[in-house]
Amino acid sequence: MSEVAGPRSLQYETPAHQADAAMVGMWLFLATELLFFGGLFLTFLVCRHQHPLGFALAGRNTELVIGAVNTVLLVTSSASYGAGLLLIERGSRRGLVLALAVTAALGASFLILKGFEWRDDFRRHLFPGAGFGLSGEDAGGAQLFFAFYFIATGLHGVHMLVGLGLLGWLALRARGGAFDRGWTTPVAVVGLYWSFVDMVWLILFPLIYLLGRAG
Amino acid sequence: MSVTFEEPTLRAQVHPVRNYLTEDGSLASWLLTTDHKRIALLYLGSITLFFFLGGAAAALMRLQLITPGGYIVAPETYNRLFTMHGIIMVWFFLVPSVPVTMGNFVVPLMLGARDLAFPRLNLFSWYLFVAGGLVTLYALFVGGLDTGWTFYTPLSTNYVQGALVAAAVGIFISGFSSIATGLNFIVTIHRLRPPGMTFYRMPLFLWSIYATSVIYVLGTPVLAITLVLLTFEHVFHVGVFDPSLGGDPLLFQHLFWFYSHPAVYIMILPGMGVISEIVSTFSQKGIFGYKFIAWSSISIAVIGFFVWGHHMFVAGTSIYSSIVFSLLSYLVAVPSAIKVFNWIGTLHKGFIRFDAPMLYALGFIGLFTVGGLTGLFTAALAVDVHVTQTYFVVAHFHYIMVGGMVSAYFAGLHYWWPKITGRMYPEMYARVAAVLIFLGFNITFFPQFILGYLGMPRRYATYAPEFQVLNVLSSAGASILAIAYAMPLFYLGWSLVYGRRALANPWGATGLEWQAASPPIKENFVVTPVITGPPYDYPRPELVGRHV
Amino acid sequence: MIRALRGVAIAWLILVLLLAEELVATFVVPGRLGPCIVLGSGMVMVAVVGFAFMRLRGSASLAQAFVVAALFWLLVLLGLGSMDPLTRTDYPVAVTRFP
Repeated sequence: MSEVAGPRSLQYETPAHQADAAMVGMWLFLATELLFFGGLFLTFLVCRHQHPLGFALAGRNTELVIGAVNTVLLVTSSASYGAGLLLIERGSRRGLVLALAVTAALGASFLILKGFEWRDDFRRHLFPGAGFGLSGEDAGGAQLFFAFYFIATGLHGVHMLVGLGLLGWLALRARGGAFDRGWTTPVAVVGLYWSFVDMVWLILFPLIYLLGRAG
Repeated sequence: MSVTFEEPTLRAQVHPVRNYLTEDGSLASWLLTTDHKRIALLYLGSITLFFFLGGAAAALMRLQLITPGGYIVAPETYNRLFTMHGIIMVWFFLVPSVPVTMGNFVVPLMLGARDLAFPRLNLFSWYLFVAGGLVTLYALFVGGLDTGWTFYTPLSTNYVQGALVAAAVGIFISGFSSIATGLNFIVTIHRLRPPGMTFYRMPLFLWSIYATSVIYVLGTPVLAITLVLLTFEHVFHVGVFDPSLGGDPLLFQHLFWFYSHPAVYIMILPGMGVISEIVSTFSQKGIFGYKFIAWSSISIAVIGFFVWGHHMFVAGTSIYSSIVFSLLSYLVAVPSAIKVFNWIGTLHKGFIRFDAPMLYALGFIGLFTVGGLTGLFTAALAVDVHVTQTYFVVAHFHYIMVGGMVSAYFAGLHYWWPKITGRMYPEMYARVAAVLIFLGFNITFFPQFILGYLGMPRRYATYAPEFQVLNVLSSAGASILAIAYAMPLFYLGWSLVYGRRALANPWGATGLEWQAASPPIKENFVVTPVITGPPYDYPRPELVGRHV
Repeated sequence: MIRALRGVAIAWLILVLLLAEELVATFVVPGRLGPCIVLGSGMVMVAVVGFAFMRLRGSASLAQAFVVAALFWLLVLLGLGSMDPLTRTDYPVAVTRFP
């Protein structure tokens, strides 16, 4: 059990020990992210309770088609990433790089569509503030909805950008031969992050696009 | 327990020339280090700077409050001073304090480990802290803020005069430093314990660091989103928190206090861990009720998340929710009380030595108890209606955070100083400083209980003349405190050069960190230890007999 | 390899079907039930991602404990945090400022 520690020894006993710590660390980080978005969800809950009509009005002014397409894109990107992880676990370096490219393309498409959506929202003066596009007595509540909308999708978008950066970094390392059957931990760790960003969207999507149209 | 060396060879074996300090002296090796010990020292320097900055603001405030008319600074400036004092002391001194200095240094040693789980993340967390600190300092010195550290809306979103965005960004960045630190500690404690160290064989300092880390990790993200929302509203005047635009100012307070109440437990739990270690060592006795103290730490961390509404009793929350929060606030006091009783139980029949760390620890127990009890007063709805936003509350939290936590911080600093630096500090000066801190603190803050009870409101630059005597007393105490806090700076600094070289275990304590050399080699241990027995394995007092 | 990828493909299909079901439920289900079903579907989708793509089942028990703790704390934030807004009397304030 006791071992003499040479000057270059790690605090980990085996690579598996270190891999396990990395995975556990990422899960814990995602827990913090859940609480981060959770504060946003509380804001939505409370504001919606106080302005039900305004939120419904605003919800009907979101672009459902883009939202739904984006959801499909993200879900597919999670699947492609999962496939990539399976491929590298079976030794296919090319498979991983391909899967990462597909995932990144899907993620980038998501952001591009989001960009178009935001552009349309700005054109219709849906950004809260002076000159808000919707009027009537529910306009105040609608503004609050759009405040939540822009903050939530903005933060989500930032997380996507970071994710794209991580995907690019992984792809570069994979092409350089850093991963094989025996060492896939960074891929698994980034996969957790990417899937989590997907999960956040899976909750944001109904909150933003569907609740105002339901019932 | 001093030993002198006659033979130079013996000295060399006990005080290794090659240690983590002498390893490589270049600036790059310090700024790019991943050695948890060096990172701890980087943090130590940073938070010491912040401590004295925040203290300077407090000094100016106490100067102002000597006279009812307050002729030192204008009211607007006074507002900026208490805001600066709060922001710096909370986020840049107390929240990091023990975990990033003593936690970073001692946690791997206590675990017999080579380093924390994620050393590079550790270094990154220090850079985040410095970045956040610089941005916040910019905000405070470019004009500051007049909102108080609590940033209540709509003052902070609509009417604030000052650099709100910069302050929010600075605190946001430093929050990620906290999250990174907490994450590191949790994974380390779960995954890097040595063979044989079950959870119940861990020293209590690790339990309290773990509990603190849970709060770091789960509470700070909510602060982050709150600051994002606050900044968005301030910049775009959206109205999420602004009632005249349909928003809800209480929503801000709920979000803010969801983090900031657990934050006060971040600010006390590590100190409690330090006290557990010190009380045990300087009674040469196993801690009384180990499991109770361990689980009390966890309970405080968990229940602490359920009580934030007690900061909002008079804000307009529903009476129903206020009752629930009041009840839960009483509940959270129980584990703290358990700890106090257990520390006293440890002292009972122990072989007590009044070295400086022990003096600080004993001071902590007394002052924390006063602070904790007054917390119960303020948790009672009917009482809080009268004492909220008065100096009673100010005294309450200063008794805990300053009388308690800062004393614990100094206690730990003195306790582990030999381990960190390989030097002993001058004991007499340290004891004088400890007593001076205790006296100065009480003279400063006890009158504030009376002032608050009599109705003097907080955050006011001037006050009614009948409060002057107590205010003068408080300011006089503050001047004693200032000297007392400056003293360690001098004698600890002196000890770095002229202090007696320390043994590996100068206190005769149990715990793995005392089996490493003082100061430790870079790898901490040459051999990974195996744990075969309980912590605090002192011989029972009955077996030892009278201590000579 | 194809077999392993099949699991991913099935999960993807389930998610797309759930999305379709969400969209249908939005427009078809009347009253208060609609939002419940829609949000419920969202949570099921999250669970599918968690188990199928993030391999929550096979991960370290410590990671699973972190997930449970995070969900618990989220519930505390949302539950205890909305307790006051839901029980408070909101006195409507006239919108006096236009941004």
